Amino acid sequence: MSKQTSVKLVLLGEAAVGKSSLVLRFVSNDFQENKEPTIGAAFLTQRCTIGTKTIKFEIWDTAGQERFANLAPLYYRNAQAALVVYDVTKPASFIKARHWVKELHEQASKNIVIALVGNKYDLVVDPETGEEIEGRRSVSVEEGKALADEEGLLFFETSAKSAFNVNEVFTAIGKQIPEETSKPQDEPSSVGRIDLNAPVDESGGAGNCAC
Amino acid sequence: MSATVDSSRKPSMAERRPSMAERRPSVQTGRRPSVIPHLAGIEDPVLPTIPDQCDVLICGTGLVESILAAALAWQGSNVLHVDSNPYYGDTSSTLTIEQIKAWCANVNLNTPGFQGFCKALLYIPRPDQLNSRDYSIDLTPRIMFVKSDLLSLLIKSRVYRYLEFQSISNFHTFENDSFGKMSSSKEEIFTDQSLSLATKRQLMKFMKFVLESETAHIAKELEQYKSTPFTEFIKEKYKLTPAQINELCYTLGLSPTPNILTIEGISRIRRYLSSFDVYGTFPVLYSKFGGPGELSQGFCRSAAVAGATYKLDSQLQSYDSNNKIATFMDGSKVKVTERLVCSPSQAPANAQNVPERKYEVTRLITIVKKSCKEWFFEGESAAVVVFPPETLPSHNVYPVQVIIMGSGSGCCPQGQCIWYLSTVEKGEKARRDLEEALAKLEESILRESEDGGFDVELTDEDVVSRPDGSISVINSVKLGKSFKEFVPQEKLTYLFKLMFTQYTSVEPFGVVNENVFKKTFKEGTENSVDYQILYSNMPSAEISYDGIVTEAKLLYSTIVGSDDDFFDVDFEDDEEDTLAAARNDSAILDDDDEFKDEMDFEL
Ligand SMILES: Cc1cc2nc3c(=O)[nH]c(=O)nc-3n(C[C@H](O)[C@H](O)[C@H](O)COP(=O)(O)OP(=O)(O)OC[C@H]3O[C@@H](n4cnc5c(N)ncnc54)[C@H](O)[C@@H]3O)c2cc1C
Ligand SMILES: Nc1nc2c(ncn2[C@@H]2O[C@H](COP(=O)(O)OP(=O)(O)OP(=O)(O)O)[C@@H](O)[C@H]2O)c(=O)[nH]1
Ligand SMILES: [Mg+2]
Repeated sequence: MSKQTSVKLVLLGEAAVGKSSLVLRFVSNDFQENKEPTIGAAFLTQRCTIGTKTIKFEIWDTAGQERFANLAPLYYRNAQAALVVYDVTKPASFIKARHWVKELHEQASKNIVIALVGNKYDLVVDPETGEEIEGRRSVSVEEGKALADEEGLLFFETSAKSAFNVNEVFTAIGKQIPEETSKPQDEPSSVGRIDLNAPVDESGGAGNCAC
Repeated sequence: MSATVDSSRKPSMAERRPSMAERRPSVQTGRRPSVIPHLAGIEDPVLPTIPDQCDVLICGTGLVESILAAALAWQGSNVLHVDSNPYYGDTSSTLTIEQIKAWCANVNLNTPGFQGFCKALLYIPRPDQLNSRDYSIDLTPRIMFVKSDLLSLLIKSRVYRYLEFQSISNFHTFENDSFGKMSSSKEEIFTDQSLSLATKRQLMKFMKFVLESETAHIAKELEQYKSTPFTEFIKEKYKLTPAQINELCYTLGLSPTPNILTIEGISRIRRYLSSFDVYGTFPVLYSKFGGPGELSQGFCRSAAVAGATYKLDSQLQSYDSNNKIATFMDGSKVKVTERLVCSPSQAPANAQNVPERKYEVTRLITIVKKSCKEWFFEGESAAVVVFPPETLPSHNVYPVQVIIMGSGSGCCPQGQCIWYLSTVEKGEKARRDLEEALAKLEESILRESEDGGFDVELTDEDVVSRPDGSISVINSVKLGKSFKEFVPQEKLTYLFKLMFTQYTSVEPFGVVNENVFKKTFKEGTENSVDYQILYSNMPSAEISYDGIVTEAKLLYSTIVGSDDDFFDVDFEDDEEDTLAAARNDSAILDDDDEFKDEMDFEL
């Protein structure tokens, strides 16, 4: 059996850019036309296999209301990956994305893998030909690529609606996550985590099953 | 649910159209669609604005206020939660070194937003060796008993998912110039070679009594000791030695003062014993990467998920109780339809109605260049050390409590350790007690970590093995002698030292005073900037999280009318959590039964 790595992934971005829709596409291969702003469902897990390794994504989706918020650093602290999402038809959402990237570089862990994602790509292409329709997009590919190159980010344009490039984003992140987040053996660090859902008298032993 | 994503996966609906390579935008170089406003230069996203109206405005994101915010938001109130600082946590923040520096300056300047603290002294001898962001320093460090209202709430509210918890097994008592590790579980008492059979029997009898203290006949028996000090009660009834009384009262009970009554002492020891063996053979947990500061953020996030709006960098300027408008320093205003709750630390300048804070906690926080792993239980990264009254050269009246956080706690780099010392003693005496306790800690860690530190001659009789063969215990009396003559060969390197005093309305022992929230406003203050503001208390001196949920609940029922629906949240999609919460609530009974059986057998 292949090794399983657990990856904490956060989604950041302005309201209504399609964060939850990307997650829904990735986790359930589904899309909802008029998706409600996120309230409540803020934590999902999804397992996927990339080559020989199995990755369990712990996905933290931001709640809609948090668009007003100074997001608690707790949210992205220790995240191994982040999707910073903008809407290719909304310039303001790209500016917000740039701020998220800056904040992540300042506050999050050093080795965080960040993917910059321009969503709603379907809105700028002709569904028949796949050709881009002039005048539809507000953020150019170059603009996104330039930011990604400058800041060392993965870059994708996606559509949660058509499923275009969605799995690719997660696969690319999975590939970038180091096989074994090597921890020095001198002092205990990750060992000793207590699972609050597993009192010993119930689960019958300390060995927590990872499935 | 499981999806397999690999190169051979089935084409999705999108791929019935032109091939990936053609459509992938990132490879469509050289083709630039028209009409694209250039974005460079537009730097600021639309700034968050304060809404016009809310049901409840809460100022300060300390732990109590954050739990309150989440409880109100889930109950359906429209909550606006602000903090005057650019970070979360207020009086219970977890800060980096740079943030601590700014915090000290603000405390000493008496800036609004930092009320209730005073005389912050900071000492950083080697600034170049401290990388600010490598550290998470708690202003109010706390440990969590496994059997506690907060832990149940963390599970019920699902906030525990945002956090990571680790255990503490080692509770050391400082006695006669050396540290003893308390025999706190039944197994340890049985196997402890230093206890006589008679003492063992008395200790076990006492523990059995504590665990049964909620049954009717014991409760009745306890009635007669209603006003007896706890230490007197155990001395008389169980004939324990002063050292054992110290361990029970200050190490297991973690009493911050010697003035505690029998009932209180028993409930504190019960708290310790019943927390054992729930998640493992340890009584206490702490949250990784920072304590109350992290928990605050967790509850704030929960509140945001339930619809609360958050804004940092917002200091309250005044509240007009006539038109219910709160005004912030930046001029923005919000109408508060229900209630304004404020932490005393963030009260408006010229506030008239802040509750009296007559109790003090003095803290000394140091970062030392030593892993201190000698003090930790195998595989753990934290420990508790207690200096009972009268064990320091300063003749300390109150105990000094110490939380030791090693690098595995995620709060400092490897090879370093954070020591949090605190006392409820007041003024300069408090600072002297803490400095002396620090000196003892230094001496002790140098002794224990230095090779050849033990220069006593030991015979075979001095070393006994535990029955399970794991640990050898060395005759502590003999070692104690050598400790007194010990001269360390190296000096301990301090990287950081911070001393400050915090005021609180909560008594050192006991929980929040309900009357604080029922108070009538001072006459003649109708036109003051804070008339009708509901103030929370400042954090108590209690080293555990106990009392915090109680305070949040009291504030909640002051606002809502009752606490019946406090966190009455039904997460329908997942039964696991509620099951675990239920298990946790009822485990006390199960545990006691089990404990009783074994003891009956042994006694
Ligand atoms: C809370 C605190 C604890 C300290 N603990 C130690 C210690 O354990 N070991 C150590 O070597 N040094 C300690 N110091 C600093 C120490 O007293 C000397 O300041 C330091 O050794 C440098 O000496 P100096 O003569 O070069 O500087 P000085 O000119 O003597 O002092 C530099 C600054 O430190 C302040 N200061 C000096 N001593 C203290 C003190 N005891 N408490 C608070 N402020 C002080 C002074 O007001 C001044 O602002 C501590 C300082 C503080 C603030
Ligand atoms: N055309 C198109 N619409 C999309 C796409 N992704 C999302 N949407 C729509 O955009 C709206 C917002 O999507 P959400 O996924 O809720 O956006 P969000 O970022 O999670 O929003 P908040 O939770 O409020 O922060 C919904 O109506 C979606 O149907 C996409 O790729 N293409
Ligand atoms: Mg959403």
